[in-house]
Amino acid sequence: MKEIIKVNRLTKCYAGRPAVNKLELTVERGTIFGLLGANGAGKSTTIECILGTKKADEGKVTILGMNPYTDRKSLFERVGVQFQESSYQEKITVRELCEVTESLYRETEDSFELLKKFKIDDKKKSLVKDLSGGERQRLFIVLALIGKPDVVFLDELTTGLDAKARREVWKMLSALKEKGLTIFLTSHFMDEVEALCDKICILKKGNAVFKGTVSDAVKDSPFDNLEDAYLWYTEEEEKNENI
Amino acid sequence: MKTFRTMLKTEIKLSLRGMDMFIFAICVPLVVLIIQGIIYGNRPAYPDAGYTFLEQSFSALATISICAGGVMGLPLVVSDYRSKGILKRYKVTPVSPAMILVVQVAIYTLYAVVSLMLLYFTAKLFFGYQFRGDLFRFLGGYLLVLVSMFSIGMLVGGVSPDTKIASVIACILYFPMLILSGATLPYEVMPSTLKRVADVMPLTQGIKLLKAASLGHPADSVLAQICIMGVVAVACTVIAVKYFKWE
Repeated sequence: MKEIIKVNRLTKCYAGRPAVNKLELTVERGTIFGLLGANGAGKSTTIECILGTKKADEGKVTILGMNPYTDRKSLFERVGVQFQESSYQEKITVRELCEVTESLYRETEDSFELLKKFKIDDKKKSLVKDLSGGERQRLFIVLALIGKPDVVFLDELTTGLDAKARREVWKMLSALKEKGLTIFLTSHFMDEVEALCDKICILKKGNAVFKGTVSDAVKDSPFDNLEDAYLWYTEEEEKNENI
Repeated sequence: MKTFRTMLKTEIKLSLRGMDMFIFAICVPLVVLIIQGIIYGNRPAYPDAGYTFLEQSFSALATISICAGGVMGLPLVVSDYRSKGILKRYKVTPVSPAMILVVQVAIYTLYAVVSLMLLYFTAKLFFGYQFRGDLFRFLGGYLLVLVSMFSIGMLVGGVSPDTKIASVIACILYFPMLILSGATLPYEVMPSTLKRVADVMPLTQGIKLLKAASLGHPADSVLAQICIMGVVAVACTVIAVKYFKWE
């Protein structure tokens, strides 16, 4: 099976207005897929509909050939998720959060090894809330990886990380991709998208305004770098209106 | 089972780190027992009563912990875990978010059981307490009171839109029940107007039921109380399950 994630005509409306409109996506095994768009463009709604935490109004989603609604239990043995807002108990330590997360899956990675890889193994005894923004972000990537997933969803992957930590996270994700992991991410950083993503989709008000590789995104625009091209895709309408 | 054990262990640690339930569910009932023991000693409940005042109060004290866990602890933890997105995070794991609720119910049940045992041994050792009723009837009643109080808590925690509203409702339910239902201030010493107010509270009825069981009074004298507790438990559970908000 080459196609790991398949989204057909996904539509979700809030109060009659479409937050995601007839979205079509496929993500292939061992690739990194980036979902881009301004705040409010529908990225989080798309992720939640794909994962089944929100019910789509229309359309069909399969992950690893399974339906995220009906096959929840077996699907999430193989899918890791890091949500945008990290959710953890007020007084829980890093070690405890890792132990609990390990207990949820049949087959797991050694979480201490993962913590070491992501350079936060010295924080095992710290409370999660006392970690710095970057440490916490890395911890949540670790948690998404504990269940030995085939696919991970990383929402706003490196927000809050400093430049060096971001590079390290990129390196580790690229290495995981080489091993066959499929990654679905959202990001606001175009350098990150260029460094990591094989394919991207740019959302604007719930519609896909571009789908393809990073280099095609640049080529199809009047600009020579992704950041300008991205802004061009997401602001085209306003510019045309101004003219 | 592995999941349940690990989560239970971790959540107990978190709960003890918070200290509030240790104080309200374990220490408060003991302190009230000691105060009542010192004030009333081995005096009979009323002239010619076949049992002491403390024997009459014992089962009321045993509900303080149930009340603290069910009406205060549960609503707060459930609404907190929802607002933090913890319940939602479990939705994208192989384990259902309902598991963490089951774990919380288990923890508050443990608090209640530990409190009951501590009260029993303290009362027996220091104040000559004697249990005169039918043990199985008492435990059955105890379970019924626990289930109905916890179902109130699940309902409040499950349907409150946010943590703030949950804690306001929890306070409105908890403090009047703690003070006026006879759990701390003995029902028997209340003036009759206050008794009428107290009778409205489900916990007051639960305490009557437990007192009858622990003093060996006949069960048919508390049939109404059994029905009230049962109805509260079923109604709150049904509404909580139907309208529970996971996020």
